[in-house]
Amino acid sequence: MVREMEPLLLAWSYFRRRKFQLCVDLCTQVLEKSPYDQEPDPELPLSQAAWILKARALTEMVYVDEIDIYQEGIAEMMLDENAIAQVPRPGTSLKLPGTNQTGGPSPAVRPITQAGRPVTGFLRPSTQSGRPGTMEQAIRTPRTAYTARPITSSSGRFVRLGTASMLTNPDGPFINLSRLNLTKYAQKPKLAKALFEYIFHHENDVKTALDLAALSTEHSQYKDWWWKVQVGKCYYRLGMYREAEKQFKSALKQQEMVDTFLYLAKVYISLDQPVTALTLYKQGLDTFPGEVTLLCGIARIYEEMNNIASAAEYYKDVLKQDNTHVEAIACIGSNHFYSDQPEIALRFYRRLLQMGVYNCQLFNNLGLCCFYAQQYDMTLTSFERALSLAKNEEETADVWYNLGHIAVGIGDTNLAHQCFRLALVNNNHHAEAYNNLAVLEMRKGHVEQARALLQTASSLAPHMYEPHFNFAAVSDKHS
Amino acid sequence: MAELKSMFREVLPKQGQLSVEDINTMVLCKPKLLPLKSLTLEKLDKMQQAAQDTIHQQEMAEKEKPPITH
Repeated sequence: MVREMEPLLLAWSYFRRRKFQLCVDLCTQVLEKSPYDQEPDPELPLSQAAWILKARALTEMVYVDEIDIYQEGIAEMMLDENAIAQVPRPGTSLKLPGTNQTGGPSPAVRPITQAGRPVTGFLRPSTQSGRPGTMEQAIRTPRTAYTARPITSSSGRFVRLGTASMLTNPDGPFINLSRLNLTKYAQKPKLAKALFEYIFHHENDVKTALDLAALSTEHSQYKDWWWKVQVGKCYYRLGMYREAEKQFKSALKQQEMVDTFLYLAKVYISLDQPVTALTLYKQGLDTFPGEVTLLCGIARIYEEMNNIASAAEYYKDVLKQDNTHVEAIACIGSNHFYSDQPEIALRFYRRLLQMGVYNCQLFNNLGLCCFYAQQYDMTLTSFERALSLAKNEEETADVWYNLGHIAVGIGDTNLAHQCFRLALVNNNHHAEAYNNLAVLEMRKGHVEQARALLQTASSLAPHMYEPHFNFAAVSDKHS
Repeated sequence: MAELKSMFREVLPKQGQLSVEDINTMVLCKPKLLPLKSLTLEKLDKMQQAAQDTIHQQEMAEKEKPPITH
């Protein structure tokens, strides 16, 4: 005879094993048996527990670390009035990457992004968020990795995720926010924290979350740093950076936490004050020496300010503390590759492979490193693996593009031609492939085709110097 | 080897002009290391994909429903 487990305990167990859907289903059953609906009733502790657990499970399902989210929508970028100086001095702004004073690789060696920064070895939600100069550019730049179109407002993405989760639920949302009596919840700190996280992460209703957080801070007589941080988070999402700054600073006075330092630095980065952010990170390091996230934050800022040498130094510090830090390994690796040391880069990427990273990007990088480090046996197999692991057409296009370079390197122009063509088939906006194809066409003596290709390339990527240079060279020769 | 040496003698001109013609060659774009994606970004992408799939499925289901006839 099988004895049934106590359902709430089982739900807890599911939650701890991160089987959130099962946990939610079970909690729903418990709640159906002893309905608790909107109002938490102190008489029914069991249903209250189930209610909290369900809220937490639903939150965990869509939880994304808020520190890592910096997405800027077009509205935020173009209508930004938070920056203090419109024409900042060099080295004090993230908007102008500035010239490279530190002797890092020039764009002739290391490709640059549209914002004029050297390509990075690691992609976070915030990378490539360099503010474009014109509206047209803003619309054209992809916001995230490759896929996403620019989002119109930074909250748009979250709202969409929220609606989708609601659609899956035939009975409508779990908690009806408009019917909540927030004052009542604010008086129950344990319940309020779970509820806040649910509203903030799952429902993405920042305004309601802010109301709840404000009431709760008031209830705790402004003595709870956690609530202050939450109020600050809400302000940040709403784009009220100065208010957010106040909250985070006040929270830091009460209790110094790594998270709070990171949030406050995020505010400064949004206000385009990288130097203040750097000082803050260093101040944080005094309290938490060797903290990886703080070190990594410093390295990121240096990288965005185009100070590659300092960035590499800090990434090395990160690796001293945590030698499995993927971001640091990838950035140092790409740095070595573009400073003409592919064999060292190869060792870093191999390390990533040993750690269990297994994706298209890594194999592509391994293939490139192998080729330039003259380990030809591994090159093509790596690229084959990369192609088989590619998740979308943009990734496939990039792998074919790089394979084209291998073909150029071994002197097989026919293969190179086909590779670049395949890159274009997969991604019709691959400016680099257009440019390289034009060079190959010129070798064959097809001047007009080369011209057309170069024009396409330069209109697709005005930030690259190669198409302009080549077009000038062609015009000079055959004017 | 001795014969070869006698056959080819190196010539090092010590006088005269040296001219180098500067030829404009076209440049290729550089190979591109692909940046690895952070966990947060992967999770966001996955969630967005899942959300789109759900919406898509619902739309398909609605289309497949037979139209209401009177």
